[in-house]
Amino acid sequence: MSHNERHEELAALLALGASLGADGAELERHLAEGCERCEEILAEGRAAATALAAGVPAVPPPAQVRAKILSSIAPSRVPARPPVSVAAWRVLAAAAALLLVAVVLDDARLRRDREDLRSRSADLAGRLQTAETALAERTLRARVLESDDVRMMLLGGSGPQPEARGRVFWSPSAKRGVLVATSLAALPPDRQYELWVFQKGKPVSAGVFDVDASGRALFESTAFPEPEAQNFAVTVEPRGGVPAPTGPVVLVGSPT
Amino acid sequence: MSPRRDDPDGALMVRVEARDADALAELYDRHAARLLGLARRILGEGGEAEEVLQEVFLFAWRAAASFDPTRGSVLTWLLIATRSRAIDRVRSRSSSSRPEARRLDDLSLEPAAPVDVEAASAERQWEAVCRSAVGELPGDQRKVLELAYFEGLTQQEIAERTATPLGTVKTRARLGLMKLRERLRPYLGSGSRVS
Repeated sequence: MSHNERHEELAALLALGASLGADGAELERHLAEGCERCEEILAEGRAAATALAAGVPAVPPPAQVRAKILSSIAPSRVPARPPVSVAAWRVLAAAAALLLVAVVLDDARLRRDREDLRSRSADLAGRLQTAETALAERTLRARVLESDDVRMMLLGGSGPQPEARGRVFWSPSAKRGVLVATSLAALPPDRQYELWVFQKGKPVSAGVFDVDASGRALFESTAFPEPEAQNFAVTVEPRGGVPAPTGPVVLVGSPT
Repeated sequence: MSPRRDDPDGALMVRVEARDADALAELYDRHAARLLGLARRILGEGGEAEEVLQEVFLFAWRAAASFDPTRGSVLTWLLIATRSRAIDRVRSRSSSSRPEARRLDDLSLEPAAPVDVEAASAERQWEAVCRSAVGELPGDQRKVLELAYFEGLTQQEIAERTATPLGTVKTRARLGLMKLRERLRPYLGSGSRVS
């Protein structure tokens, strides 16, 4: 996306510290594309926004704030000198106690920072996975959809899973099919879903697949049995699949 | 002439980075009142502004190395740190009730006053330029800038508060900030653009 005035507006708002809500992602993408102009607006704008603070009257802080700050950085001021007397030992012990407090405080802070980073990175990992799934789905669909003779059939939920939905894209010439399904239930470890292609009224297996944690499945069948598919169904079968359907039908198409 | 070079703050930051506590104390004495003023402006009376002030100086102590003199003055750096911490607190408590919350309408900034720029020190000069730059902004642009800066409102909230379409809020934010940048550019540290 090339730079436009809208990006400048968003960068200005961000520099002012206003939260952008959903528009934030748009600006992020734009910055990720390496827009120097917006980077400059952000950096200079943040500094320029501090001009607003110049009109605010100064407030002399209470003396104890200064003391607190200086005492919490105090351990670094203790010179590293060998102890020479009992008095020095006392000073050192006191310093060590202070240092311990500082280390504990520091540790708590670091832990918070770490947790913060961890949650952000988990969030990013989740978003990355979503993006990768979406990309894989598009790639697969594109491969099938590029065929001149691509066809599509909607599958509806059936039996135990009325909420399930699916679409099969297939190309008789490419002998490939892609199933995209949502709202499928999680299965026990010894079970898998199996896709069936009906030809001349009889189901032929097109392979087995699993669903992800959100009930989505993206399955590309590279052993698509028959170019003249009339209908599709998905059943629950023992892991690895079976030559003929045995389990309940959870998705089925309606040939037109 | 860049005020940064004459600014003793730069030298203080070098010493702070080298773990010189006296330098931090000096930095505090120079700027704490202004920073507390900003924190109070955002957070109101009460202990929170003082807590923010402490956090900012501990941050300066810990993260002195992250200060980049080419991106602006030490004071700007400290003001940004203060503002962002104060706004974080405002946002975290905005869900709960906030009876003491002050409306911007109640306390408008002082208008720009003519200042003898030549006679002023670098800091006074910076301050004077800032005040007059803000004072010269059209009222509606200044309002948007202040609502975002001091109250941490979202663009949507600014639109609601000022009864202005969202698009207009965005335009005003951009134009207002652009004017401030133009006026303050000699102080902002983007070397090549200093006139």
